[in-house]
Amino acid sequence: MKLEFIVNDKHEIIDVYPGERLLDALRNKLGLTSVKEGCGEGECGACTIIMDGAAVTSCTILAMQAKGKEIITTEGLEKSGELDILQESFMKNGAIQCGYCTPGMLMSSKALLIKNPNPTKEEIKRAIEGNLCRCTGYTKIINAVLDAIER
Amino acid sequence: MKEKFKYIGKSIRKHDVKEKVTGKIKYAGDMKLGGMLYAKMLLSDAAHANIINIDTSKAEALKGVVKVFTHRDVPKNYYNSHKWYKGVDFPRDELILTEKVRHVGDRVAIVVAKDMETVERALSLIKVEYERLPVITSIEDAMKEGTTYIHGLSNKAFEKTIKCGDSSQILKEAEMVFEDVITTPKQHHAAMETHICVAEQDSFGNITVWSPCQVVFQVQLIIAEALDIPLDNIRVIKTIMGGSFGGKGQPILEPICAFLAMETGKPVQLITDRTQSIIGMRSRNASKICVKTAVDHEGKILARNIDADIDIGAYYTNGSAVPMAMGKKSFRMYKIKDQTFNGRSYFTNTVVGGACRGYGSPQIHAATEINIDNIARGLHMDPAELRLKNFVKPYDKDPTGGPDLGNARVIDCVERGMKVFKWKKKRSKAKAKGRFVRGFGMACAVHGNGYHGAYPDFITMTMRITNDNAVVLKSAIHDQGCGTVTTMKQIVGEVLDIHPDKVIVPQADTAFSPYDSAGTQASRVTFVCGGGAKKTAELAREELIAKSSVILDCKEDNITIKDGFIWNVEDEENKFTFGEMVVKIQNELEEDIEVTHTYKSPANPGVYAVNFVEVEVDRFTGLVKVIDVLAVHDIGQAINRDFVEGQIQGGAHMSIGLALSEEIKIDRMGRVGTLNFSKYHIINAPDMPDVRVELIEEGEALGPFGAKSVGEVCAAATAPAIINAINDALDINITDLPATPERVLKAIREKG
Repeated sequence: MKLEFIVNDKHEIIDVYPGERLLDALRNKLGLTSVKEGCGEGECGACTIIMDGAAVTSCTILAMQAKGKEIITTEGLEKSGELDILQESFMKNGAIQCGYCTPGMLMSSKALLIKNPNPTKEEIKRAIEGNLCRCTGYTKIINAVLDAIER
Repeated sequence: MKEKFKYIGKSIRKHDVKEKVTGKIKYAGDMKLGGMLYAKMLLSDAAHANIINIDTSKAEALKGVVKVFTHRDVPKNYYNSHKWYKGVDFPRDELILTEKVRHVGDRVAIVVAKDMETVERALSLIKVEYERLPVITSIEDAMKEGTTYIHGLSNKAFEKTIKCGDSSQILKEAEMVFEDVITTPKQHHAAMETHICVAEQDSFGNITVWSPCQVVFQVQLIIAEALDIPLDNIRVIKTIMGGSFGGKGQPILEPICAFLAMETGKPVQLITDRTQSIIGMRSRNASKICVKTAVDHEGKILARNIDADIDIGAYYTNGSAVPMAMGKKSFRMYKIKDQTFNGRSYFTNTVVGGACRGYGSPQIHAATEINIDNIARGLHMDPAELRLKNFVKPYDKDPTGGPDLGNARVIDCVERGMKVFKWKKKRSKAKAKGRFVRGFGMACAVHGNGYHGAYPDFITMTMRITNDNAVVLKSAIHDQGCGTVTTMKQIVGEVLDIHPDKVIVPQADTAFSPYDSAGTQASRVTFVCGGGAKKTAELAREELIAKSSVILDCKEDNITIKDGFIWNVEDEENKFTFGEMVVKIQNELEEDIEVTHTYKSPANPGVYAVNFVEVEVDRFTGLVKVIDVLAVHDIGQAINRDFVEGQIQGGAHMSIGLALSEEIKIDRMGRVGTLNFSKYHIINAPDMPDVRVELIEEGEALGPFGAKSVGEVCAAATAPAIINAINDALDINITDLPATPERVLKAIREKG
């Protein structure tokens, strides 16, 4: 089956099979390996991407469901060599340890900021409640998002 | 007087954050080698059974399947994946694939195919016939006479007593003895990256294995033993680590993946999913610990007896090391002249135990610290004050002959914590009468700094200053995401007075890294490997000074090194970068700046953590919310403050889970109920408090720039502090972890 959609501002047409998850299509067909698998059931958030402005777990979506949609992955945050303010802020605030949850965290945070540029700390926590992190205890991640808002 | 440091203690960014934040960094699961095949295991759904038959015909007939392996196809070399160097041995009871399954999650078959979709389909087509055997799922069942034996003729795998003085007599005669039985659950490491491995064999027959691992030389050794092939034909490369916490310490997939690469002649990527990571890898051992403590009226501990029964699961692995580690900790926090620790390990038909952040510390401190609080309640004393009467002091000796405690600052931690947390004021508040009630608790933990005093603990490192002005520190270090590489860069930068950006620190690769005796284990990296980096850098500095004095034709004393430049103090006009000087040394002297040093760990001091917490308990639902955590750490000296905070906040996360929600649930049939994160609950952002961090930096004489460990001790004190806070809130006595809503409600009901 042909899947036509927009990924990181680029028009893409790829071949997918009926049961293929969006996660696998992005990783295997487009090489977007920032999209990580951690649980395969939408509980850990490592595979979070932005689809039409909303953060979704790409392991619980079939590739074909993305037909005609606009997808953003972490690879798409960087614009003409400039990192996104969230990326800068994650680095500055020590929000990254092993880094495996980082792309998902960025996607959930970015989706939040698209809808609500001035979220409260509680709203940030809610936005990343589906993103698990075993390394950081979340504090520095939340601080990073708060810092990005201030800037 | 405190030294002033240029790079030590500074929050310099981790070396690889840009690659991580842009999603470009490649983990083992992102690797693609030409012609690579994919593999996944079929794990047992029976807890204890003989395999009568495995029908793989349908799976093998599937287009794209390369081969299906069962116990009939694999080498029969028993191994123990905990063994980390030649010269130590533990009971060998593991095979790559087994004919007799001993737990749900045991290894039954492997499918290798051209893509993952085919692998999954083929796995579903394998039919296994089992002859079921009786199942043991608890320590109590394992102990029974005449029960089913999982290995050999007893389910008791290990037993050892550690003691000082004679506690039994004092306990018998004492007026006041406080006894508690505390249980702790099996915990899943929950690294976000599941276990994974890639292997390839070249035309010479050499095997290369890429693995997110903790000890490359251990991986190499276990592959050699499991496959009975020469160790030096195996190359192990540590990949970017997507979280380990001890879970990826023992090589599990690596010997299997190496075998598959040899058998197929192709690169193979062996993948696990979350369920397999929970049931088929390793776990924190469950424990049941009975603590009896005799005290006098002033709260002075007179004697203590600890009986610890450990559920190690279906295979031995480190079944002797965990109770030993627990026992040793019991003697290094409080000064107790007469104390006995009895540790026993039992096989059960449950998830296999292994290293897990804290390595026995979370269990033993859960037990002893809950017991201490119950003593304080019994004596109507403040639990912090009671502890202060009993703590070890700096430079005390270990009463069992273990390594000296060094600059042990647990008292400072408690005193600072009481002040910052406003402990006295909070504890003295009257309890709310309504639905929600606040409680306050504290607890302490002690851990070590490596293996000194128990096992070989050394690291060889090589340092070269290049002619392009870089300093290369070659060693078998493994950054687990904690910032090990940058920590080394800061240490080397401080010694050579060059910016850490100029220091290059490649990670472990058995082909090129000098030997390291123990890898990233036992909280040894900063203390031992960091000590090695410091010494090696000092030797490189000496060599640079000696050879530069020849080049500049001056006395060594006249050589000045500052901010990455070197010059003759009498010739300020001619300053050289290290690189420029090395060019001169190479061209004029035909020499080089390269040193190799084997650093033996000089000590193994105690490192201490004290946590103060505030909880809110809902009397209606039994739900507990952690409102505040203050973690005070005796760290000697932080090398990188940001990393230290990261460790402590992450360790608290794991410990809060142990206290409230995390448990691998296994029923009487041995079936696992917590197969994924929908059932196995790790704390998410809304439920996680901001963990406040206070550091006691009094310096440890034998650590690099005074530094001690932090990565494991930080995961031990939060859980008992939370349980103590819950018990404080409701005046109940919860002793089973995790304190789930059901358990909290039950305790409230029982209190009436």
